[in-house]
Amino acid sequence: MTWHPPRDLVERYARGRLDPVLTMSVESHLARCPACRAAVPYEEEWLTASWERIEDLVDRPRPRLATRLLCRFGVPEHVAVFLAATPALARGWLVAMAGVLGFAVAAARLSAQDGPGAADALIPFLVAAPLLPLAGIAAAYGRHVDPAYESQAATPLAGWRALLLRALAVLCCAVALTGAATPLLPGPPGLAAAWLLPALALTAAALALSTRFAPPVSVAALAAAWSGAVAAGPLFAGDLLLAFSPGAQALYALAVPALLALVYLRRARLDPGETR
Amino acid sequence: MYRFLARRREPPPIGPAGDDAELLAAVAAGRTEALRLLHQRHAPWIRGRLARRCADPDTVDDAIQDTFVAVWRGAHRYRAGEGEVAAWIWPIAIRRLISTLRRTGPAPPATPYDEARLVTESAEDAVLVGVEHGDLGTAVARLSPELRAAIQATVLDGLTVKEAARLLGIPEGTVKTRVMRAKARLRGYLA
Repeated sequence: MTWHPPRDLVERYARGRLDPVLTMSVESHLARCPACRAAVPYEEEWLTASWERIEDLVDRPRPRLATRLLCRFGVPEHVAVFLAATPALARGWLVAMAGVLGFAVAAARLSAQDGPGAADALIPFLVAAPLLPLAGIAAAYGRHVDPAYESQAATPLAGWRALLLRALAVLCCAVALTGAATPLLPGPPGLAAAWLLPALALTAAALALSTRFAPPVSVAALAAAWSGAVAAGPLFAGDLLLAFSPGAQALYALAVPALLALVYLRRARLDPGETR
Repeated sequence: MYRFLARRREPPPIGPAGDDAELLAAVAAGRTEALRLLHQRHAPWIRGRLARRCADPDTVDDAIQDTFVAVWRGAHRYRAGEGEVAAWIWPIAIRRLISTLRRTGPAPPATPYDEARLVTESAEDAVLVGVEHGDLGTAVARLSPELRAAIQATVLDGLTVKEAARLLGIPEGTVKTRVMRAKARLRGYLA
């Protein structure tokens, strides 16, 4: 470039003391000339302050993918960070969940047979599926599972809100994964989906019991009760699928709202440090 | 093989003498000191240029902050063949200003053009206008401020009608009619 605007013109431009046409003129020159860009005056303190603000943002670790996705869907940032840090949603847990489902589906497919016994092959899957969200909830929140629990407990998000938020996230993930596995099952499609209501009922029951006992204890008790209930069908009534029969399903459907109401009434008991 | 890998991992040296494209490559590799150099080099003129479009210094500072954070995140998208780094940053800056304005409310009126403090146009200034724009400079000077602002936003800053409307704080339809009228006037002056 052979021609440059005089320095004082650039300075007057930077202070807004040029008429509009000269301003445009200087701007179009600055856009193409590094030397004149460097001549634009600035205060050292302003530059330092401006950089410090940028450095502060740039130095921050980038939010995790899950956090960014949740934010994209309108979840407030602090809630998104909290949900993404749920221990029960860590990659290991998700892989374990997928593994259990994979085995159950494989078992069902391998033992599938035609005729009246076709439904029996589904039993391992139907028993395991409701236990998945249950196990996730035991590991969602609490001093035994969350390394950040102590510092977390002192924040405004702690307590029943935190537990319920994470329980909801865990339930959503477990239901989504199990739902994705359901179409792969052999046997009648209605029966393959019979895990959904027991899963919801057991989750609600786990939360309700957690208002009285520690979540891992409640979950262990419920898992035992669920296995017992499934086993009771063939032992006492001679029906392998008694726990999944329409009557039982109606019972689960009735239990879910009742248990959720109970959780809501006793929610204060879920707070950390509260005697259970 | 090992030495090759080691050499690849070693970051290229950057210094105040480094050219913009190299600095941007270093920013893409996650080096904050390169971003600092770019900020040092480009923040002053970006600030000056944004201040000609928005009179509130806080809004301009916010826009500059957003701009360099955007540069930090998007540095890998720059291709050396696409032209100068400055020409790459400016559209980011003006768009960041527009989104800052959307957050903080309508744009404050642009810096009032202070006739009293203005130094009389010198022969040199007239030459500058002549060199850069020829007769167009005089023609643009005769436009009313509103029409000039519309032309500046859409033609010189390369904004869409929607973005220009947000920057100037006027409806999109008004931007369109002002640009049309300004072009008609200029055509008339230059004929």
